[in-house]
Formats: sequence, structure tokens, C-alpha cells
Amino acid sequence: MSVDKIGQDEWVEQAAARRAQLGWWGRAQERLESANPLLIAGILVLAAALVPLLTSNEYIIRVAGNVCLFALLALGLNVVVGYAGLLDLGYVAFYGLGGYGYAMLSSGQFGLHLPTWVSIPLVVALAALFGLLLGLPSLRLAGDYLAIVTLGFGQIFMLLANSMDRVKLPGSEQELNITGGPNGITNLDPIQLFGLRLSTVTGYFYLLLVALALVWLALHHIDRSRVGRAWRALREDALAAEAMGMPVRRLKLLAFAIGAAVAGLSGSIFAAWQTAVFPSNFDVTLLITIYAMVVLGGAGSQVGTIAGALLLSVIPELLRGPDTARALFYGGVAAMALLLMRPRWRGAALLAAVLAFGLLLKLAVGVLAPGLLGQPEQAAGLAQRWLVVPSNPTLVGNIAFLVVVALLMAVSRVRRSNIRFALLIPTLYLLAFVWETRLASQPSVTRLLFFGAILVLLMTYRPHGLFGKPRVEVV
Amino acid sequence: MEAFFTQLPQQVVNGLTLGALYALIALGYSMVYGILQLLNFAHGDVYMVGAFVGFGVLTALAPDNKPVLPSWAVILVMLLVAMLVCGTLGVVIEWFAYRPLRNAPRIAPLISALGVSFFIQNAMLLTLSASDRVVKTELLLSPRLGIDLGSARLSAVRAVIIVTAILLMVALNYLVRRTRLGRAMRAVAIDREAAAMMGVDVDRVIVITFFLGSALAGAAGVLFGLTFTRITYLMGFTAGLKGFTAAVLGGIGNIPGAMLGGLLLGLAENLAIGVSSTYKDLIAFVVLVLVLLVRPTGLLGARVQQKV
Repeated sequence: MSVDKIGQDEWVEQAAARRAQLGWWGRAQERLESANPLLIAGILVLAAALVPLLTSNEYIIRVAGNVCLFALLALGLNVVVGYAGLLDLGYVAFYGLGGYGYAMLSSGQFGLHLPTWVSIPLVVALAALFGLLLGLPSLRLAGDYLAIVTLGFGQIFMLLANSMDRVKLPGSEQELNITGGPNGITNLDPIQLFGLRLSTVTGYFYLLLVALALVWLALHHIDRSRVGRAWRALREDALAAEAMGMPVRRLKLLAFAIGAAVAGLSGSIFAAWQTAVFPSNFDVTLLITIYAMVVLGGAGSQVGTIAGALLLSVIPELLRGPDTARALFYGGVAAMALLLMRPRWRGAALLAAVLAFGLLLKLAVGVLAPGLLGQPEQAAGLAQRWLVVPSNPTLVGNIAFLVVVALLMAVSRVRRSNIRFALLIPTLYLLAFVWETRLASQPSVTRLLFFGAILVLLMTYRPHGLFGKPRVEVV
Repeated sequence: MEAFFTQLPQQVVNGLTLGALYALIALGYSMVYGILQLLNFAHGDVYMVGAFVGFGVLTALAPDNKPVLPSWAVILVMLLVAMLVCGTLGVVIEWFAYRPLRNAPRIAPLISALGVSFFIQNAMLLTLSASDRVVKTELLLSPRLGIDLGSARLSAVRAVIIVTAILLMVALNYLVRRTRLGRAMRAVAIDREAAAMMGVDVDRVIVITFFLGSALAGAAGVLFGLTFTRITYLMGFTAGLKGFTAAVLGGIGNIPGAMLGGLLLGLAENLAIGVSSTYKDLIAFVVLVLVLLVRPTGLLGARVQQKV
């Protein structure tokens, strides 16, 4: 049977074969891609709406609210980075602008207690306007300048938020307190909509969920529209898009403004929820977190972005408890070994080899140089009985950390699978050692290291993320 | 306003020192950008690592606060070790985070660079904790040492910085303009493919460029530690932003431009301190936006025609 193959290149033709190679993962991907994204969105939102009904644990509802907040932020960033392909490093400043805007309009800071339905639209419009203003100078130039100007803008925002608590206007001696400096602005009005006064975590969770659903739907339609197609064309090749008569500058500014508006909306809800804003709520760490979410899920894919937000905001919560953190770490490493190594038995062999390596090492050190061993910890878990813990774990752990990073980089670039297998045995052992001595006790730093590594590894190995579609380079 | 003018000569001296540091950072940015059209966000963090390496070397060479070598030798060792470590770090970053993305869409290496920067910062935070370190410069150069120039005073430390920076820049200029390697670097910057066809080993040139740029950043880190003494794991971020601004101000990709841009930015910032110290960090940003608006190719940059 001959099929008309016009417009199909080799890569597209072999798509099914590549899928088959991936096994269940490929089938899941296929299912996901063929499903109506709105259906997935609907199911996810409905499932999320059930959370407060199933549990009365406020902590869980708060985490769920955080997931929604991050998902909102990630969706907004996805417009700029994923659709239009612009690197906006001042994104968090727009989020902060939303937060501070709401704080100034609806609190006792200036005695303005504007109702929510006035202040939030005002703040969102303001954020969009700032997005336009910031985009204007940088769009005259090559794309890279946009990144650095927006990064600078983010810095300036932090600087101003931190230092505008004693502003002297020219011509007056009085000092004005605008942002509250490092102490921020507190005692914000709660959100009041349709006569409903939100004061509980559950209330804010539902508000965030509704906002998320609405933004999701709106962005989905924009993505499918003429503008969305134009954005994608712009992302793939700005020059070609321009040659086709697309208003490149206007498209870029539009993407920028929409992203800023979504950030502003999230910021104002966040501010009302926290009932306060501080400069430290809007730092670079948050920026990297949102970037990691968008990139992990797959820039340009809405479902992927949501999945990224879900994963990366739930995992750090799990890392808080030492027991779940340990289970997550060892489970994660084992799962990675079993899933990524081909053929499958190699993964199991690797884990067994690492275990044996650890036992032998412990035995050898115990017999040959027992003086090196430190005092066994009181709460020595299985892992600590298996690991050689020296008498100065911090120093050795630090050195081991650097060695592990070097080893992991080497492993990822070695081509011969036998050598890689051999290298992985000490690497994984050392990784466990570093985990026990350094990483487990500092979950916040571990989380940030993890986010940084995600950005680099995904860009170099899987630039389309977990759920995005791989690009086909047509030369 | 009167205070501003009496302080002016001192602020000019301070501005020149700071500017020399910015120029060293800007050079690394500019060289890499000239060759790969890549914004190396991790550059600022390489500089931060340099400052910590310098601190470590000083601590090792001065047990019990007594330097085992003469001052000039200690400073030289600090510089050399930091340059070597940072240069190697730069090469590793290039090899791991940028090389696989040589032909990827432009946004990919930028995100990767962001990740590297964040990773280095947090690796430092993990291994060295968040506390600031203080470089004991007074062990090497007494704070009383210095020359009085009218109402301004050039302390010995600042003199060392200016001299070192000038020496490094002269050496770099010689390397780029007069040697075979420099010719290869300029060729790759103009047209990578054509250079490859003429027998230039492009990968090797890129690696060397990263090594040189990062080594200069490491030297800047050591010099920063010597003058301003307090170093933290977060210092790379702002410094990177300023170094980039300096590079753009002078014309990115242009080596004399990076030096000029650094000096001008340092001067501008210190003059701003005379007016209001809170907003001195604003200056870099304002300068950046103004330059981009008025003269996007910088002061010394040539207008580039986009090739299709």
C-alpha cells in the first residue's frame, strides 16, 4: 500500500517505530498527545477540587494551594519562554509588582482599602503595562539583550522594594515609607468577591484553582489562535517570520505583556493569601524554580508545565521530613537505575554491585584501619550501617560532593557502556555518602542544587522536557 | 553638593579601581560572546569562585596570620592558583553545559547557563556555608601604605589592582592581536564555519577562549577580595550583571571596548555614590538601557549587519 508521503520526512515516518522502542512510556506519551488537552485539564482541576473534601489537614490544602500558585506562574512564564521563545529573567519582578501593587492598594499602607474587584484588575493592567515598557527598549535588539535587561529589572525591583522605606521627595523634608523596606507591608485586606470574604486556606485554594482554570483555558485558546501560531513561528525562526510579514515586535510585546499580566494576577492573590509581602518573597531562587518547572514539563506544552509545577512543588515538601526524604532519595536513585539502564537487568546488577561495593569497603576499612571510622550515630539507619562514616563527616562530605559532581559529569559523557557501568558503582556509593553527610541535613540547598541541575541536564539531554514535542531540525 | 566636589578626586580613584575589576569581568563576557554569541551567565559565579580560591590560598600561606612568603609572592600565588582553577572551571562548564548545545535554538544555552550559575552558587553554599569570609589583606599590605595625590589617596592595595589589571589586559591584547592563536580567535569570531574550512580548530579555540576569559574573572575575584575584603557566595550575580553592562557599553565582542566600558561604569558608579549610595546599583542598569537605546552596538562596536 503506497501512502502519499508529501510533507513527511524520515523522522516523522519513523515516529511510531521510535514510540514502540520506548515501551509503556511511549504508549503513555501517545495517549497523552492524542487526548484532548481540555479534557485532561478538566479532569485535573476537578480532581484537585476534591482535595479539601478528602482531607481536613490544613497543611495538605496549603501545599495544594501552592501547587496552584506555582502552576499559574509557570503557565504565564510558558507564554513568554515556551510559546514566543523569549528569555524573560525579570518574570518574578512582575509577580512582585502584583504582590506589592495589591499590598499598596488594599491595605492600611496608604489608607487605601480598595475593594478586590478594583485593585486586582488595576494591578494586572499595571503589570502588563510594565511588561510592555520593559520590552520596548530591548526588542530593538537581538534577543539576548532582552534576557539581561529583564534580569537587571528583577534586580532593580528587589533593590527598590528593599530600600524605598525612607524616600525623600524633592522639595519636602518628610520621609515617605512606600514599600516598607525589608519589613515589607503587612495586614493586607483579604480578598472579597461577590460578597464572599476569603479568610481560610481552603477559600484561597479554591480561588487559586478557579484562577488557574480560567488562565489555563484562556491561554489554551490563545495558543490555538492566529497569535499562538505566529508565536511559534517566531520562536522557531524570527527572521523567517518577519519575512512572512508577521509583526514580530508587536507579537513579542504581546507575549511579554500577557506573561506579566498572569504574573501580576498570581502576585496579588499570593499577597492577599499571605496577608503580607516582603522583598524576599520575590528573589532569584523563585525565578529559577519557575524556570525549572517550565523546562522540566516541556516549554510550550501546557499539560507539561502543570506537571512540572506539580512535581517540583510537591517534591521539596516531601524532602522536609528526613524519613520520606531518605525514601525518596534511595527510591529515586534505584528507579532511575532500573528505568534508564538498557538492558533492564543491568540496572539491577548495578544496584547489587553498589551494595556489594559498600559492604566490602566497610569491611575493609573496619579491618585495616578502624581508626578512620567515626562514632556510629545514635539513630544509625540501615544506610549508615552500610556507609563508611569517617570521624569528620562534614569535611569529607564536602570533598566527596565535588568528586561526585565530577564523576557524574564524566559518567554522562562516557560512551562505552562497560566503562560507564564500572564508573557508576563508586559514583552511586559516593552519592549516597554525600546524601547522608551533607545533603539530607540541608533540604533547602539540596532543592536548589537539584533545580540548577535540572536546567542544565534537560537542556543538554532532553530540551523538550518530559511532555513537550521534540523539535525536528529542518536544514 | 560641596561635599560631592571635595570627595570627587577620591571617588575617581575608587572608580578607577572598581572599573578595572569590571573591565576584567567584562573581558570574559565579551570574548565568549564574540566567539559563540552566548551570554555566559555563569561567568559571575566563576568570578566568585576565584575570590574564594584566593581566600583559601591566603589562608593556607599565612598560618597563624604570618605569611610564609613575601607579600608580592603571596599575591602572585593567589592570582595564579585562582586563574588556573577558574580557567579549568570555565573549560569544564563549556564542555558540559554549552558544547552539546552548539547548534540548539538560542534559548537553550541561556537556560543551561542559568542552571550552571545557580548550581555553582548552591554548591558553594553547601560546601562553605552561607557565612561571609574576610580576606585578611592587612597581612600582606599595610593599610597605611599608599600615595597621597592631593586630596585623594591611592592605597597600595588599589595600586596593586590597577597595575595587575593593566598588565593582564596588555597581555591579553598582545595575545589576541599578535599571536597565531589570537588570529585564530578573531577568525572564529568573524565566521566560525569559514574559519573551520581554513583549518582553524574551532573547538580548541573555543576552549582556550573560555579558559582565558574565566581566568581573568578568577583574577578579578582575587583582586576584589584583596580590596573589599568581604566575600560571599552571592557576590557573583551582581558582578556578572555589571561586567555584562560594561561589555555592552564598550561594544560586546570588542576587547578594548570591554576595558573602556568597565572603567566608565566603575567611574559612573562611584560618582553616583557621591550623590546617593543607596541607588548606586541602579546606575549600571540605567547605563545599560541608555546604551541599548542610543547606541546598541556600544561605544567602540562596529555596526553589525545581520547575515541570513
